[in-house]
Amino acid sequence: MTVPIQKKTLAISPDRDGLTLKNPFEEFKTFHFRKIEIPLDQIVQSTEIVMDRIRQGYEKLLEEEAKELVWMVQYNTIIKAYEVAERYVKEIDYSAEDIEDFCFVLENTQKIPYLIPGPAGIYISALCNYVQEEEIVLKLSELKTEINLIGFRLPKGKRLVIEGDTGDFTGIGLEGGELVVEGNAKNWTGAGMRSGKILVRKNIGLHTGEWMMGGEIYVGGRVRGLGNIVEGKVFERDKLVYPGKVRYPNLYY
Amino acid sequence: MGKNGYQKQVMEIYQFINDHLYFNRPDIEVKGERYNSAILFSLITGLKGGKELIIGEPGLGKTTSAEFICSLIYQFPLGVIWGSEVSGHPEQTEEKIIGRPDLGKLNQGEEDVVWTNFSQIPVKIVDEINRLPETKQSMILDGVDRGNWEYLNEMIINDEYCLFATANYQDGGTNTIIAPLVDRFDAMVESRYPGPNLSFLIGKTNRKDHLLRHPKYEKDLYRVLKSKVTYEKKISKMEEICNAFGEYVYETLRVKPLTRKDRDQIRAEMESLDLDLDASAFTRMLLAELSFCERYGQKRAIENCEEGCHYTGYLCHQIKNCSSNRLPTSIKQYAQGLAWLVEDPEIDIEHVKSVVPYTLAHRVQWKDEILTQKERTKRDDPFPIFLAKEAIKMVSQRYREQSEHLKDALAIGSKIFQGESLEPLEGDHPLYVEIKKDIHARRT
Repeated sequence: MTVPIQKKTLAISPDRDGLTLKNPFEEFKTFHFRKIEIPLDQIVQSTEIVMDRIRQGYEKLLEEEAKELVWMVQYNTIIKAYEVAERYVKEIDYSAEDIEDFCFVLENTQKIPYLIPGPAGIYISALCNYVQEEEIVLKLSELKTEINLIGFRLPKGKRLVIEGDTGDFTGIGLEGGELVVEGNAKNWTGAGMRSGKILVRKNIGLHTGEWMMGGEIYVGGRVRGLGNIVEGKVFERDKLVYPGKVRYPNLYY
Repeated sequence: MGKNGYQKQVMEIYQFINDHLYFNRPDIEVKGERYNSAILFSLITGLKGGKELIIGEPGLGKTTSAEFICSLIYQFPLGVIWGSEVSGHPEQTEEKIIGRPDLGKLNQGEEDVVWTNFSQIPVKIVDEINRLPETKQSMILDGVDRGNWEYLNEMIINDEYCLFATANYQDGGTNTIIAPLVDRFDAMVESRYPGPNLSFLIGKTNRKDHLLRHPKYEKDLYRVLKSKVTYEKKISKMEEICNAFGEYVYETLRVKPLTRKDRDQIRAEMESLDLDLDASAFTRMLLAELSFCERYGQKRAIENCEEGCHYTGYLCHQIKNCSSNRLPTSIKQYAQGLAWLVEDPEIDIEHVKSVVPYTLAHRVQWKDEILTQKERTKRDDPFPIFLAKEAIKMVSQRYREQSEHLKDALAIGSKIFQGESLEPLEGDHPLYVEIKKDIHARRT
């Protein structure tokens, strides 16, 4: 024989054994409390909404530009991808902090092999270029993948600081902004930049400043090789290496 | 409020004592007005029938201030108050404090008690209470707490009484006041040095005691106190003489002492004042910090805090003991008195904040590291009151930050008690945990 178990009620019965229970909060019974969640919950919730929107934009970019999950770095593909990225990014209300979070979301997501260094860099660049803040600091030193194309078309008045290393094509097509890389940058840094400043604290790879039309590149460590520079300046450890006859382009030393 | 002018009458008594009898400097501000804490709290003690500990250096008016206030609030001539005071000394006995056998009747084989003046009159002053040895302090615990005085299976109950005890700072002849006795005091104030100029003035002028003396009424009152009539009859006879003395004081000094009827009316008016929601929430917040321990369920003087506890920033981490149930009563009584005196319609958070340091200072046992850390801080108050004021500042800051959320949490608690199916609010303060505990206790 089974005895039916009475389900415990969570609500409090106001009367027990004929004795009225004393409500220790009695005087607050007429106080109209606001239906609020605690601030931390709100922050987490709103951050998640923003992150979802940023992620959706990136997914769409991948759908349109990297269907095979393969992406060739060509001038045309970069321009086209950036235009798509711009379109999505403009519709999102986000902050510089969200960009940093997005970089980690990209790397840690289990859904699809998300981080394709090219489109990711384009998309992050678009996010940086359209964010409200003038100074953006991305602490990416914990990131396992070096993102390419970061700082693409960084406009005048913006300062982007990357804590960590960056991949190829860092700061290409820079449009007057200031890009600071606290670690190393790979090849083709500053290629096609028009104006502005790139500062790489450690070492920089080959083809530095390829087809750059203006602006300055400062390198705190060593420059492995310069590209074919049209106009602009490149400094290695405070010493002007372009223009000058210090070394030939793309020469290993 | 104030329709019958009792507040004015009481403030005139304050002013009279302030101007003529007890020279002092103001040291407490309430709603923009400055007062002297010793007179202000003693007045409330007299009016509310509270228990007050007055500390201070010898000769700074601890006992005299209490005597003057009692004389004007209860219409007793000083001579009777002096004759009913108990002084704390190591040889003090129950017979001198409470009562003794009637030796004449004892010879005839009958048992009767001769009650002391101290146990009979509503005004009770214990001078230098900390000179009473700790074992003898227990003798007055019950009387101090409830106004019940027992001897030889007989008992008198004071239905109206107030108690003032004075204590010197620790020296060779003093003892520690035992914790249960300390906790029974509603408030602690310091009778302070009035400054060299006022002190000089006190020395220069004649003593003012005679103003509140009346040898004839004093004799009459002694006669009543010694008489063999029932205690109830004594009370009504004493009242008549006291009223006559009150009239004499009014005629000679133009300050009107309070009759029993006045005092009852004032008490009724005070009783009608309740704490507003902020005052209530603030007091609950304070009590939570003074009693909370996440690990051991509540504070206990014999248990130590855990290292790295989440609640390190709250008062519970700085103190050893748990606040007693007498603390909220004292806070409410004195805040009520203060709100009534300044003619406010409710007890608000300012009244509570003004009285809390004085109701808390003697009850808290601070951890040694806190005492060491703060003992050399520049301050104006005696160390225990200073520490209590600092603590209140911290709690006030926390209350400012989360008052709305806290009130929401309490309101939701109330709704849950009324049977609504809601979840208690989360928050970073011991009070949120305590609210949840109350709800959980009732739900299960």
